[in-house]
Amino acid sequence: MGKVIVSTGRGGAGKSTFVALASKYLNPKKLLIDLDPDGSLADMLGIDLNEKGKKSISSALYDVIEENKGVGRTGYNLLSDVLQPVLYRGAEFDLITLGTKFTVGCYCAPDAVLKDFIPILVKDYAEVVVDSPAGLEHFNRKVVVDIDDLFIILDPSEKSTKHIERVRDITRELKVSYNHFYLIGNYRFTGETEEHLRSAGEAYLGKIDYDPNVRQYNLEGRSLLKLPEDSPAALCVKRILVKAGYKIMNGDLTLSRARK
Amino acid sequence: MARKIVSTGRGGAGKSTFVALISKYLNPPTLLIDLDPDLSLADMLGLDFQKEGKRTVCEALYDVIEKRKSNISPSITTHDLMESSLWSDCLYEGKNFDLITLGTKFTEGCLCAPDELLRKTIPKLAKNYTTMLVDSPAGVEHLNRNIVSDINDLFVLCDPSDKSLKHIGRIKEIIKQVGIRYSHFYLVANYECNEEAEKYLLNTGEIYLGKIDYDAHLEQYNLEGKSLLELPEDSAASLSVKRVLAKAGYQIRS
Repeated sequence: MGKVIVSTGRGGAGKSTFVALASKYLNPKKLLIDLDPDGSLADMLGIDLNEKGKKSISSALYDVIEENKGVGRTGYNLLSDVLQPVLYRGAEFDLITLGTKFTVGCYCAPDAVLKDFIPILVKDYAEVVVDSPAGLEHFNRKVVVDIDDLFIILDPSEKSTKHIERVRDITRELKVSYNHFYLIGNYRFTGETEEHLRSAGEAYLGKIDYDPNVRQYNLEGRSLLKLPEDSPAALCVKRILVKAGYKIMNGDLTLSRARK
Repeated sequence: MARKIVSTGRGGAGKSTFVALISKYLNPPTLLIDLDPDLSLADMLGLDFQKEGKRTVCEALYDVIEKRKSNISPSITTHDLMESSLWSDCLYEGKNFDLITLGTKFTEGCLCAPDELLRKTIPKLAKNYTTMLVDSPAGVEHLNRNIVSDINDLFVLCDPSDKSLKHIGRIKEIIKQVGIRYSHFYLVANYECNEEAEKYLLNTGEIYLGKIDYDAHLEQYNLEGKSLLELPEDSAASLSVKRVLAKAGYQIRS
């Protein structure tokens, strides 16, 4: 049974950046899931899903519905109609994206597909990492109900503090379970504002330092996997994962450098 | 009919900050609508909703459903009960602006119900105001839901990333397919954009109105949860939004 990891937080906090950077150090075999209809995790990992002949869940569902209309069929086969066209299998990681839909209505249908997939898929992987959309609605939908590690990425604002409370309330009310609740500060925290987070005690794993490379890569749409090993953001993510008890891949040497 | 203004963008781009800052320069009476379940625009405007005795839309819906379980009044439909609750319990009426906030929901399921109630009520509400200003949640789902189908000015707040550019393309496509109408589509850069990033925005072919300059006051206010309405008139962010509004052809109230 794989470990289920969820990255969440307010918009722009750095959820996807964290997932992209962490993905490199997690143990294979790993599956990454981009739950954000406005997401760009594939781009951030340098994968062109279109080119690889893969679809997003939203577009796979759309295609199934369109095809069904033609042949007078209803319903679909979860594995052959949806999983097969959406699951990208790579050398380093596998990837599924929710994708944008261009029809009226909410994302309950594609989310429900993932909700069904995750308990099945988790058996095939050592780690399943879910990158959430901004906000809380994904919790209301209970897309992932059984979380091992829940990482909340924060920006320095009063709104972030309130967001933490909201996540705690909403997960409790909806019975979304997690084993660990971790807080991570983004690059905008200063020594002073970081004190707020330190008061959270053990749950606070540290912050991700400012990294001009990440900024530039994001501006140009380049893969974050190509970031130099000694780049500050990558080192911070490694340190954070170690602190959360992860045995990280091929990072010991650079880790000691990071501690200096 | 009110001029309908919608602020949208990727998470953290500055949608709510933009709304809070421009709210005081628009033609009154103004109705603000906060569609984000993860944020309280009220906080940014220094308003304690609970103290004012107001409910969020999610809370009001919950109340109506709970009440209906024990006390059935067959002559009124649930929708009517909800709509009347929206007007009487959720609409905060203040001196400078009125405000409706969606609020967080603590029961299972998506936010279609409260969003749908707002979608149906917005055209009615719009008749009572000169300006209606909607602050969206991060992402694109609110556009798929077609909550405001008839927009005058759509402001897209942008951070310096390729994702922002992709976001612009994505929302244009959703808007087209879903059938949302708008008169103007404007881009506004956030304080993180440097000249290089601004160049990207200038080259999108959309109307680029300029950027909101970095403002140390603003950062401090957000950190402490202070009302942005108290930001000094001559602070960098206030001056920027005035410039942006003027460029979009607004007559600015001072």
